[in-house]
Amino acid sequence: MKYILLLLLSINLFAVDATLKIETDVEHRSRIALVDGSVVPNDKIFKILLADLKISGHFLADTTQHTGDITSNFIEPALKSKEYVLKYALSQATGTKLVIRLLKASDGTQVFKKSYSIPTTRKMPFLAHKAISDINNVLKYPDISWINRYVVFTRYTTPRQSEILLADYTFNYQKVIIRGGLNLFPKWADKKQKSFYYTSYAGLVPTLYKINIYSGAKKKIASSEGMIVCSDVSKNGSKLLLTMAPKGQADIYELNLATNAKTRVTNFNGIDVNGKYVDDESRMVFVSNRLGYANIFKKSIHSSAVSQVVYHGRNNNACDAHGDKIVYSSRESKNAFGSNTFNLYLTSSRGSGTRPLTTTGTNQFPRFSTDGSVILYIKHRGNGSSIGYTNLASQQSLLFPLGGRKIQSIDW
Amino acid sequence: MMIKKIIITTTTFSVFLLTGCSQTAPDLMGKNNVSDATQIAGDTVTIDENRYGNENGAGGKYNSSSDGFQSIYFEFGDYGVSSGMENSIASNANVAHNASASKIKIEGNCDEFGTDEYNYALGLKRAKAVKDGIAAQGVNTSKMVIVSFGESNPVCSNPTDGCYAQNRRVDLRLVK
Repeated sequence: MKYILLLLLSINLFAVDATLKIETDVEHRSRIALVDGSVVPNDKIFKILLADLKISGHFLADTTQHTGDITSNFIEPALKSKEYVLKYALSQATGTKLVIRLLKASDGTQVFKKSYSIPTTRKMPFLAHKAISDINNVLKYPDISWINRYVVFTRYTTPRQSEILLADYTFNYQKVIIRGGLNLFPKWADKKQKSFYYTSYAGLVPTLYKINIYSGAKKKIASSEGMIVCSDVSKNGSKLLLTMAPKGQADIYELNLATNAKTRVTNFNGIDVNGKYVDDESRMVFVSNRLGYANIFKKSIHSSAVSQVVYHGRNNNACDAHGDKIVYSSRESKNAFGSNTFNLYLTSSRGSGTRPLTTTGTNQFPRFSTDGSVILYIKHRGNGSSIGYTNLASQQSLLFPLGGRKIQSIDW
Repeated sequence: MMIKKIIITTTTFSVFLLTGCSQTAPDLMGKNNVSDATQIAGDTVTIDENRYGNENGAGGKYNSSSDGFQSIYFEFGDYGVSSGMENSIASNANVAHNASASKIKIEGNCDEFGTDEYNYALGLKRAKAVKDGIAAQGVNTSKMVIVSFGESNPVCSNPTDGCYAQNRRVDLRLVK
């Protein structure tokens, strides 16, 4: 009987997603409550502020939406057990205006006050993100400015048609930036997110372009028979890792943008794709089927030795890297089709310290935040898809629902 | 002691309930039962006349190539041209010979079970395999250009194995 109980307990344990893991370092997080002082309380911004506080990993936010006068320093007795109260007021009469006041819960002392204003209403989520990242900085927590960044992604619309869109990390803001034809694999070109690379299928062969998202200026970078994808950009933006097939063979090349010189990094008569700079950028990890199935390997950019990084899974067909950290998606089940087949794992470039990040659904397209502290991914479960985020330090996760259209590629 | 007996009896009964009786099935292969037994026990086949690669020619009903070419279909995760597709390769080589003035675009496609770059590389390997097969029959490689469309160009969108199979293909057409 005790074995049966143990078995049931184990099944239940492993069915739990990372989202429900016991949260660590709870004592280091600030307990905070949100008080909406808007003329008309706004549910949407409350949810966004709450999500920002949660995914930061630095706050334990009260999930009740309180209301109150933003100009007053009065703290409701029920909130005095918190450390901070964030009062805010949103106005979208003309454009978007957000005023925030961070008060000490114990005595109502003001810690921080700021007003944000933009001429449009659509970009409201970005004001919320900026407010929380400012509060985070005021309280001297580790930087979370990644919540202010654009997410760029491609979604399929109809066969051989796609759209490239910009979004905030919660996907509450979305804007189509390229429509018409088949345009794929967007990849940010610079830290400031002024431009991104993408693959166009408008010509006879796939062509890589760089587009400025503010001016629309477009520059042709390279083209290749078969396929061309910008898989990674070096930190200073001077070099690219491309998957190209100039001779019909998918291999990884490094393109030096200053000299326009291409170095062939892999040379294998199979599939080598998805090159990502790792460690000090003298090496890369990549996906290859050189052992008969898709798996994660590592090699130096300028030497031929290849080493295997991952030793489990039946199909590990996508990865991302930040410093010496690697995240990859892995199918462990025999069933090629159906649900619950891909999970995300975190490991190091040495292959050590491997741990699962998800345990339910189909989890793909893992992408590190710019500081490597959070991982973005797409989760399919049942009939729905979500964009997910996992904070590696706090192990907190967030999921935001996506529309029904299939995501092709995503970058952050 | 009594309680122990009850537990053992209940457990044994439950096991029988869960597993069913292991009694030997009656012999249906007896002299007078042969035809009946065959009808009951024999596993029947399911024929899908619309399935790819049938004897009616490459692609059968689901040819998504144009200009006289025939689409080539692949198994899950595979990029080798199967023996069942060799006649279609030969037919495509003939069309290519006759279209000497035009360039041929060979488009690799995949089902939806793949992500990101890997699926596009898989489509590329399929296109390359078809190109090599046609080149082996004397068609000049400079006449052919290959492009992978990954999972972006499905011809069927139902969540069935037959539908996924139609999407794992290489289409050929003339560049106009």
